[in-house]
Amino acid sequence: MTKALAVYRKELRQISRDRRTLTTIIFVPAFFLLLYGYALNWDIRHITLAVQDRDGTPESRALVAAFVNSGYFDRVADVYAPAELNRLLDVDIARAALVIPEGFGRDITTGPAPQVQLLVNGDNANTATTVMGYAANIARGAGAALAPSDGMTAPLVSVEPRIWYNPELRSTLFLVPGLIAYILMITAVISTALSIVREKESGTMEQVRMAPIDTFSFIVGKSIPYFLISLASAALIILAAMALFGLPMRGNWLALFAAMSLFIAGALGTGLLISTAAETQQVAFQAAMLTSFLPTLMLSGFIFPISSMPHALQLITHVVPARYFLIALRGIVLKGTPLRLLWPQMLALSIYTLAMLTLASVRLAREKR
Amino acid sequence: MQRLRRLVWKEFLELRQDPRLFGLVIMAPIIQLTMLGYAATTDVKDVPIVVADGDRTPASRNLIARFDGSRTFTVIDTVTTVTEVDRFLQTGEAWIALAIPSGYGRSVQDGQPVSLQVVADGSDSNSTTVALGYATSLVGEYAAALTADLRAARPQAAPAAAPGIDFRIRVWFNSQLESRFFMIPGVIALLLLIVTANLAAMAIVREKELGTLEQLNVTPLRRWELIVGKLLPYGLIGLIDVLLVTALAVFWFEVPFRGSFTLLLATSLLYVMCTLSLGLFISTVSDTQQQAMMTATFFFLTPMIYLSGFIFPIENMPRAIQYVTYLIPLRYFLVIVRGIFLKGIGLDLLWPQAAALGAWGAVMLLLAVARSRKRIA
Amino acid sequence: MAVDTAGAAPTISVRDLTRRFGKFVAVDRVTFDVARGEIFGFLGSNGAGKSTTIRMLCGLLVPTSGTALVGGVDVTSDPEAVKRRIGYMSQRFSLYALLTVDQNIRFFGGVYGLVAAKLADRRRFVIEMAGLAGREHTLARDLAGGWRQRLALGCAILHEPAILFLDEPTGGVDPLSRRQFWRLIDALSHAGVTVLVTTHYLDEAERCHRVALIHAGRLAALGTPAETKQVFAGRPILEIRAGRPVEAMRLLDAQPEVEKTSLFGTAVHAVLRDTAVTPQAIGDRLRDAGIPLDGVTTVTPSLEDVFLDVIDRENARQGAR
Repeated sequence: MTKALAVYRKELRQISRDRRTLTTIIFVPAFFLLLYGYALNWDIRHITLAVQDRDGTPESRALVAAFVNSGYFDRVADVYAPAELNRLLDVDIARAALVIPEGFGRDITTGPAPQVQLLVNGDNANTATTVMGYAANIARGAGAALAPSDGMTAPLVSVEPRIWYNPELRSTLFLVPGLIAYILMITAVISTALSIVREKESGTMEQVRMAPIDTFSFIVGKSIPYFLISLASAALIILAAMALFGLPMRGNWLALFAAMSLFIAGALGTGLLISTAAETQQVAFQAAMLTSFLPTLMLSGFIFPISSMPHALQLITHVVPARYFLIALRGIVLKGTPLRLLWPQMLALSIYTLAMLTLASVRLAREKR
Repeated sequence: MQRLRRLVWKEFLELRQDPRLFGLVIMAPIIQLTMLGYAATTDVKDVPIVVADGDRTPASRNLIARFDGSRTFTVIDTVTTVTEVDRFLQTGEAWIALAIPSGYGRSVQDGQPVSLQVVADGSDSNSTTVALGYATSLVGEYAAALTADLRAARPQAAPAAAPGIDFRIRVWFNSQLESRFFMIPGVIALLLLIVTANLAAMAIVREKELGTLEQLNVTPLRRWELIVGKLLPYGLIGLIDVLLVTALAVFWFEVPFRGSFTLLLATSLLYVMCTLSLGLFISTVSDTQQQAMMTATFFFLTPMIYLSGFIFPIENMPRAIQYVTYLIPLRYFLVIVRGIFLKGIGLDLLWPQAAALGAWGAVMLLLAVARSRKRIA
Repeated sequence: MAVDTAGAAPTISVRDLTRRFGKFVAVDRVTFDVARGEIFGFLGSNGAGKSTTIRMLCGLLVPTSGTALVGGVDVTSDPEAVKRRIGYMSQRFSLYALLTVDQNIRFFGGVYGLVAAKLADRRRFVIEMAGLAGREHTLARDLAGGWRQRLALGCAILHEPAILFLDEPTGGVDPLSRRQFWRLIDALSHAGVTVLVTTHYLDEAERCHRVALIHAGRLAALGTPAETKQVFAGRPILEIRAGRPVEAMRLLDAQPEVEKTSLFGTAVHAVLRDTAVTPQAIGDRLRDAGIPLDGVTTVTPSLEDVFLDVIDRENARQGAR
């Protein structure tokens, strides 16, 4: 234990001398959380809409008004020729186009149902799906409003939607936990990924080999200062998120602390493992990108739902620690989930952390020989 | 010229000595592209749903079977009371909870409208909206079918329907709404950035750290020869990556390629010039490889990923930040790449983006070159 | 080992060369000349300004003021022309660890513009000179210290420069390799190459034609090793081999005739203020005090003695200000 402490002290001293790195690790993450938290969301507004109203009746104008008044669409152009519509979509001046046929006003009251077209720029499938959802809703509402009032009855079975935890569906609340996970992972991995490789490259590994310390204690000793620093950084991020983005805290602070600690420890372990396995710092960096950067972004459930991925990929997500952390984080912060319900996630994180630290020590031990 | 060739040759020799790096640099983009290609889907399927069946009649079980049988949903559990669904939602095991009230079966049989409660986990608002939409449509179709049956059996009992609007949605450029078609061309841009900028930066800083850079500065090598010699190998690697990834995208993931390949190559060259200049710049502000890595990741890579329109649309960002995004070369290249792949548009429409890239690259190159002097002032 | 400098213009000419980093003066108005074929030693402790001076002369650092002509070229105005004429070996033997011996040679040769027959010629020369025959395909990082050092030297002279700058070339290398290395430098000097070498191994400095002692950025002494030792004219240095050296030192310090003492290995060196007292007398005093004595002899000053003396005097001067 004392040996690990000695390593810890040396590492801490080394780190505190590198001011730039220290400030970067502690403050920059919080700063970027703010930046991204403000910048990013999926709540669609100001969808640029081009309108081709071939009818020109009060009813057709009412339909257009319904779209514009919804607050989601910005009417940017009225066109008459189809070719013009194409061009606007091609150059991204309009991301959607509403085409109302001639005779709309007449058909909406007498039937048959008039065919209204909405052209949506589909290159961002995410936003396109959402736009389609909004549009369908608006059209339904407008259709009901414009139709004759008699004969209008409720369907046999209808749905009463309720949204829990985030009733206004603010995507910020959904994104911020993901950002927190991402930033914590990156910071922790980057801090440690180069630490051991650097010594290999500059030749000071000799000192490590000579030290009468078992590799596990060495690894633990090396991680502790980074752990403390990352924890400080994490505290800052959470506080910033709560103060500035209205991130609620419906759960238990202790549970949050436990989950964060485990996650950070796992991330540090990953960085150390990379550090022991790589020969040069360049390799370490590329490896860090490959195993942490992108998987945390893509495979953790942050942006793309895991259940929609092919099964092979879903299996891979089991070794992405951010996956478990996100469930725990969202649960604790947004849903007030008690820790006892999150035991599978905590167990998974613990196993991951232990595995990383052990593998790193084993790898390091091989170097020592 | 011969000196330059020597420099490039040496760089490749060093890379060859580090097979892991070489392998990583070639393999990593492929792995990442594959990962992303399969992960990036908003195709909603197997949405976990928990049902609180307060009715327990054949009718309710019928409805549940409808949900379970659909591609979109997977019923993970059926409970009796609404309170029991709490824990499923809290642990994220289920995204949606369906509550079928007691008396449902009776109401449906009698033609009496009945309302079902659907609770959605709003903490994952993106998927929620979609899933909710699907649930509503599914119930709607089911209701229509039931109504049709009812009408066939007892015409007077069934409710009438209003004409409404026949609302057709046509999706342009990406009619199957394949998220990957949107993401994959973007990944090309992203990977180029990661590989070329970082590798170049770290390679230069490495020589600084080891002292060989000083040795090079003492030789009659010109400054431009030094710079080109260090950057050229990584530019070449970057272009190879472009080819590999494009091939993978088109032939494996079947992303449509509707535009000009030459244009893609030409603009990639422009873009690579930007990323290499960035790498050079980073190397001039870093003394150690660790600093280079941190600077690159925190101050360039991550912001570029998040703010370039790669995943999150720029038009949703606050105005102030939208202005900032004009400074990100990835933003322009994304438009170019997506335009070439998905829309098949050419230089006549893409020239503003190409010009922006050229300008950015030129400025960054000048800045970086000015900072990399052979002699410390 | 005197060098014939009659009539020829100096190869390196430095006048009041100064370099400041903010308020800190790293090199303070240094002035000296180096003749063609001379081995010129730059001595000083770490941080004294040796490396900074060399960097300026190589065109790696811009002088704050003063002039330096290397091979007749003004370093400040045309550093690139200087680089063509010089060879440089840095403190860390800057070779490419991941390249083989042969590849390193080819690389540096190519960078200096050597091609085909000329390159092959020089390559053969360097390999033979460095004793690397048979090791051409070994990676530079797998070479032992001495070989790496000689390879680095070889790479620095591939283009047959007239002037060679060596910055601490023998750091961390075994004594046998060091001696071999200096034999190479001698050979180069005989062939007319001017060598400016920095070192803090004072025993190596004895092999230079002339030395300059740098302390706190200032030139504290300049001349042949023998000339610099003139500071001890009239001040003999005694070497006392005693059983309890620390006690002996303390006693010696108390003697009025002793200017200062220092430990040299297990022996004590005492500088006397003048020739008034004899070594035997000093020895008697020690024996009287009960300190077992092996012997007291007068020794010729070494450069190390000179160096320490110079530093003392410089510090005294600084203190007096």
